[in-house]
Amino acid sequence: MISKDMFTVNPEGFSNPVVEFERVDFSHSNGTIALRDINFQIYPSELVAILGTNGAGKSTLVRHINGLLKPTHGKVRVFGEDTSSTTAATLSKRVGIVFQNPNNQLFAQTVSKEIEFALKNFGFGDDLVRERVRWALDSFSLSQYSERSPMELSGGEKKRLCIALVLAWNPDILILDEPTVGQDSEQKENLSLIIRQFLDQKKNVILVTHDVEFIWPLQPRTMLMSGGSIIVDGSSQEVLGNPRVSQSARITVPQLVDFSIRSGWQMPFPVSTEEANARIHGT
Amino acid sequence: MEIIDHGSFGNDKTGPESLIDIRNLTFKYFGSKDPVLENVNLQIAQNEIVLIVGHSGSGKSTLLRAINGLIPHQHNGDYSGDVMVDGLSIPRTKMSQIALRVGYVFQNPENQIFMFSVERDIGFGLENLGLPREIIRQRVDWVMDILNIRDLALKAPHELSDGQKQKVAIAGVLVMRPKILILDEPTSLLDPFTASELVQLVLKVREELGMTILIVEHRLDLVAKICDRMIVIDNGHLILDGTPREVLSRADVQSFGVTVPAVVKLAKGLGLSGNDLPLDPEELKARLSFKAVQ
Amino acid sequence: MQWIASGFLFVRGNTPYHRLDPRVRLAVSLCIFTVSLLSQSILFLSALIVLTISIVAVAKIIKRFARSMIFTAAISLIAFVLNFYYSPGSPHQAVVFGVRLFAVISSTSLFFLTTTPDELEQVMKWFRLPPDFIMIFVVAVRFVPVLMLDALQIMDAQRARGLEFDKGSFVKRLRNTIPVLVPLIAVALNRSLDLAEAMDSRAYGAVRNPTSLYKLSFQKRDYVVSLILGVGFAIGIYVTFFVPLI
Repeated sequence: MISKDMFTVNPEGFSNPVVEFERVDFSHSNGTIALRDINFQIYPSELVAILGTNGAGKSTLVRHINGLLKPTHGKVRVFGEDTSSTTAATLSKRVGIVFQNPNNQLFAQTVSKEIEFALKNFGFGDDLVRERVRWALDSFSLSQYSERSPMELSGGEKKRLCIALVLAWNPDILILDEPTVGQDSEQKENLSLIIRQFLDQKKNVILVTHDVEFIWPLQPRTMLMSGGSIIVDGSSQEVLGNPRVSQSARITVPQLVDFSIRSGWQMPFPVSTEEANARIHGT
Repeated sequence: MEIIDHGSFGNDKTGPESLIDIRNLTFKYFGSKDPVLENVNLQIAQNEIVLIVGHSGSGKSTLLRAINGLIPHQHNGDYSGDVMVDGLSIPRTKMSQIALRVGYVFQNPENQIFMFSVERDIGFGLENLGLPREIIRQRVDWVMDILNIRDLALKAPHELSDGQKQKVAIAGVLVMRPKILILDEPTSLLDPFTASELVQLVLKVREELGMTILIVEHRLDLVAKICDRMIVIDNGHLILDGTPREVLSRADVQSFGVTVPAVVKLAKGLGLSGNDLPLDPEELKARLSFKAVQ
Repeated sequence: MQWIASGFLFVRGNTPYHRLDPRVRLAVSLCIFTVSLLSQSILFLSALIVLTISIVAVAKIIKRFARSMIFTAAISLIAFVLNFYYSPGSPHQAVVFGVRLFAVISSTSLFFLTTTPDELEQVMKWFRLPPDFIMIFVVAVRFVPVLMLDALQIMDAQRARGLEFDKGSFVKRLRNTIPVLVPLIAVALNRSLDLAEAMDSRAYGAVRNPTSLYKLSFQKRDYVVSLILGVGFAIGIYVTFFVPLI
């Protein structure tokens, strides 16, 4: 049978979870149940991927982490604080979400002002604002557009801007909602890089996605959702490496896993083509 | 395989009339600095399934719009060259005439479903053409059967899932019985399972109706195997044109924004290429077993 | 907010009244509407309101009707008060004015609450309204709920950037609408551009008068009701002009 916890929780022994869901249920105002009995903890420096079909509840779940939604039953605690007792705007200072559609948030007259918006809302002082805007523009190759309208940017550049403006305020948790949709190979490479850099700071990244090929090399902790519940929570190897498990949540099997199974290999399966290549040659 | 550098050669498949014949197409949007398509030459025969890939903004969607007439009829700009579809010159033919031959399924199904019930929306194109009610009824029923969506007939758009919406969008286009079906990133909003169901559906449609299919898609693991031909557009130019195996065998293919599937990368690393290049784990395993046996 | 959006997402009713041809339902409302406009009798107007409410009961939409009538009742009351204030010598006129307003609005509501946008579009087509005009109506009804949901998404996205909608002075709150309105307009424009492409690609405008998959046709019950309506309307006009009532 499918066991819910398939790996060692908190291997580095941090004492306090960053995010905690305790018996969380959530129903929409029209009565539909979107989340059922969600329980888990996330500890510092974890990379977590939440997978599932559209409608499984992934987006609903992460919107609880920055307080956009509050549970109908149960508690959500972020850095120890109950999200019900504070607002999304306050929580967002520490929990940044990059949404899927850049067109849903760009509005300022210039790219610089776009980045400034959140910084000012969070109460950063003028000098710090200037510094962070410059950092964001430089780090994301957007300096040339600093005085241009965000509407003039291409789709890919807008997406980059959306990530830049969230990282500008340096949240402790970065949530990315379907970041690879419609992105070409180069954009996806950059995304992987950004994620790794963020994790290097011992912070957390949470990915909501159904792009298994993108996350397999990153080997995140993987939660599968279906019908509003978390049906599995474990390491990538154990969750994505197990077709019976992943297919029950209508998630496709990563190609390297498929190949490894056909080749009769034992776990852990190779996470990159280089590793697979080496394994084939018996090194 | 033809490697076309800056469009100086034509891929001359013009035997008995190509269904789609594009010659020296150059287009620059009104108000834009640079042309988005430059000197594109492309011939596509009947019944081909063609995959079109390239960086975001490379001109793929523009090329598709040039085939269904939105360019130049709906989008202003500097247009030069010739686009012939089914013997008709696109710039000189009305959109409504083109719509009978070319069906375009756009990326976002939400913005393609206008009416309040599925079957009404599917019939939209036929209503516009002024066809009699009985014919509309027949065709709508026929299309719903082929795509297996009869049970959705009376549902309202907001009651549909994303996958269902996409199927309804395809139905609304197929009902016109076009010879060419264009799918512009049809799976981008779908999860992988639904996406592969959709791809299988498209294949089935092609089998039963004998259509030419043009598909823009980033997820090669879903479509590379079913396509006869793969075209890479880079910066407005047609750069590569060959079978998926030929094109993916090239060392530089990733630099054109193509996401090479993991197993294909692995295969290339093992020295496989050309017609030999496996496109999915099953093929790779079979290929390696064969090699081992030798 | 979901509730508002779902207000536009009609529920198809299944009562005998719903099963009437929409043109008949339109005629019913129009008749009540017309007689209400002409009548000077509080008694008669009240009877018409009772008639409307009974039809509402038959159509089983009392709850939805009640919701929209709260607003109407308020307006009628205001109308009565204002009227009385400006011509205190004729209280009868003031009451007539208020009750008439209520009768007129409820008869209109009766039609719109029992008619789906589909049927409305069919009726417009039957009246040979210009196809472009009908299309505007269809697109508006189809996409207003969509845009409302877009607005909610946008508000969430801006909240996630530290924007507090419920705090601050009136001026600040007004300024806070800009980060919602600008993307909303952009999204709406994008949707309409997409729509335009899809419409053209599906031969919109090929023919002056597009045909339709559905067709309105009278059933026996429609003829019966029309007959009753005709007689009722005649009686109503007669009473209005020739029978003195308060």
